[in-house]
Amino acid sequence: MSAVLLPILPPLIVTLAVLILRRGSAALALAGATLSLAGGVRLLAGALDGQAETLLLPGLPDMPLRLAAGPMTALLSVAVATVGTLVLVYAIGYMKRESGQARFYAVMSLFLAAMQALVLAGDWVLLLAAWELIGLCSYLLIGFWFQRPEAANAASRAFLYTRSADLGLYVAIFILIGSSGTSEIAASLEAGGSASTAAGLLLLLAAMGKSAQVPLQDWLMRAMAGPTPVSALLHSATLVAAGAILLIRSATLLSADTLLVVGLVGGVTTVAAGIIALAERDLKRMLAASTASQYGLMLIAVGAGVPLAALLHLLAHAAIKSSLFLAAGDFQHAREGTRFDRLAGIGRTRPWTFAGFALAALALAGIPPLSGFFSKDAVIAAALSAQGAAWLGPMALAGTLLTGAYLSRSLRLLWRGTGETEVVDGSAWMRTGIWCLVILAVGLGLAFGPVEAMIDLPAPEAAGVGVVLSGLLAAVGGLALGWLMSARRLLGPIHHWAESGLPVAGGLTTLIGRPVMAVARGCERLEGRLYDAVLGVGRAGQVVANYVRVGDEHGIDGLIFALVSGVRDLGARARTLQSGLIHHSLAISAVATAVLLAILFSASLSV
Amino acid sequence: MTMILILALVTGAILFGIGVYGALSQTNLVMIMMGVELMLAGAMVNLVAFWRFLHPEAYSGQMFVLVVMTVMALEMAVGFGVAIARFRAKGSVEMEEAEDLKG
Repeated sequence: MSAVLLPILPPLIVTLAVLILRRGSAALALAGATLSLAGGVRLLAGALDGQAETLLLPGLPDMPLRLAAGPMTALLSVAVATVGTLVLVYAIGYMKRESGQARFYAVMSLFLAAMQALVLAGDWVLLLAAWELIGLCSYLLIGFWFQRPEAANAASRAFLYTRSADLGLYVAIFILIGSSGTSEIAASLEAGGSASTAAGLLLLLAAMGKSAQVPLQDWLMRAMAGPTPVSALLHSATLVAAGAILLIRSATLLSADTLLVVGLVGGVTTVAAGIIALAERDLKRMLAASTASQYGLMLIAVGAGVPLAALLHLLAHAAIKSSLFLAAGDFQHAREGTRFDRLAGIGRTRPWTFAGFALAALALAGIPPLSGFFSKDAVIAAALSAQGAAWLGPMALAGTLLTGAYLSRSLRLLWRGTGETEVVDGSAWMRTGIWCLVILAVGLGLAFGPVEAMIDLPAPEAAGVGVVLSGLLAAVGGLALGWLMSARRLLGPIHHWAESGLPVAGGLTTLIGRPVMAVARGCERLEGRLYDAVLGVGRAGQVVANYVRVGDEHGIDGLIFALVSGVRDLGARARTLQSGLIHHSLAISAVATAVLLAILFSASLSV
Repeated sequence: MTMILILALVTGAILFGIGVYGALSQTNLVMIMMGVELMLAGAMVNLVAFWRFLHPEAYSGQMFVLVVMTVMALEMAVGFGVAIARFRAKGSVEMEEAEDLKG
């Protein structure tokens, strides 16, 4: 067995084991995630030694399934497993009072396995399969409390949004395999030409769906209806990250024009989602909007031609956003809700969690020496030195400013005010998970140097003093603005619009929803007509059959029965002649003879 | 000559008519058979008369009459056999009571 299976198989086996055993599911899931982490670390160590593990499995004809653990994929695998393990540690505390534990842990493990498969996939077919699996798992997890209509709704919405964007991935893969003749990712990316532009744009569409980029960002905020560990896992290292990972891995394919489109989509998203986050009245929904905004920054980095910066920000964001979400989940348990007005003043009653939250928030805002500072610097430097710097640079800076503003606003709202706090079960587990991730979020910046050296991607230019200063200024300025001014004053006239999530979603409803519904209704009508037509044919056949039956019964049968009864009547009549009385017989023969004679006589007369 | 032929034919016709009447009017099996005998006898008188007056040189007419007489004898034998069997079984040869003969 190749080592490359090590991160994938344990969670997969755990999924089956949990579904079969239905007890001890939390411990099993944790064990599976830990083993997966160990496997990832083993792969990373191997990759550092220059031994990239690969494995070919029999798949489609001429397209074997390929697992490849290069330095980048191994690193991503470690990141996924780390976040997954810590989120599961946290989930043991968080899910303590929930029912349906087996289902939760089974799907979480499957999610982890699918994400590992996606990260380590070396060919498009396997990647597509894993891509679909994480979509399915996210549907199951967001809809974990499927009894609640809003959760069921959010699950369907997330599934449909990402699923329809996935069509882009399908077409892109068909184009790539068709133009390069191989399903191996690395080989197929070198195709070039107009096919690669089309494929790049379609890949961008798929990534936009999964990474919740404008205009497909709406599902991410609604997905908050799921349990908080799910949100943490979804937003940091798995589902949403898949889009960015896809773009980072296929960055070599993208032509200059495609790169600009990628960067612009990211730029628009980072600003728009930042504005939504600033106006949001719910902590988890704010974090969700922030996720979309941060992935926008990563797309800017990819669009600027420096996917390594995007990768660094992805790693930093994974640690930071999962710790933010986990802290939010702790608050949620303490106050039975995540709306800011319910959470007022929780920072004073739960200082440890709040301290972790604040540290992670500062890291995300980009305050040195926390990890977010380095990654965001790389992104800003990339944006400022890119081809479309006139667009991308200001957008990246605005995104950074907004990040600081909404994070310090949330800190202010959590710190000020008062409210009743409940004692929470299992908070030791939760605190362990939170603090491990916070430590990662704080210290990950130290690892960026080795990571840059290790990964075979063009390194970003060393950021000049001006770039560092401008990024820092934007971050600190944002933090100060958010702390000092209310969102209403900051946003001015667009506050109301932003509060309802910049109703691009409404636009989507009119733009896409109505035509689709019209088509669906048309199809329904067509189907109804087809059904009627088929039914009509059936009915006509029945009528014809009925006539045939009647004709059979009354025509042919009647004829035969009439013949039979005629013969029988004739027989009965003939029987009456045979009375058994000799006189009768004699009389009959005498009369018959007389008649015969008469006939003969008249015949002889006429001759 | 012709008068004698007519006489013979009339005799035959009378005999036949009596026979028909007897066969139809009597209820006793024996009497019915006697009627049948009379009818045959009438027919034979006719036969003989025509033979005598039309072709006296041919013998086939006589032969035919002899065959008919043999048939009469056989018929008598069978008829009386049936009558005796009937009488032994039922104690009567009344044909009005013999509806069971229809089988």
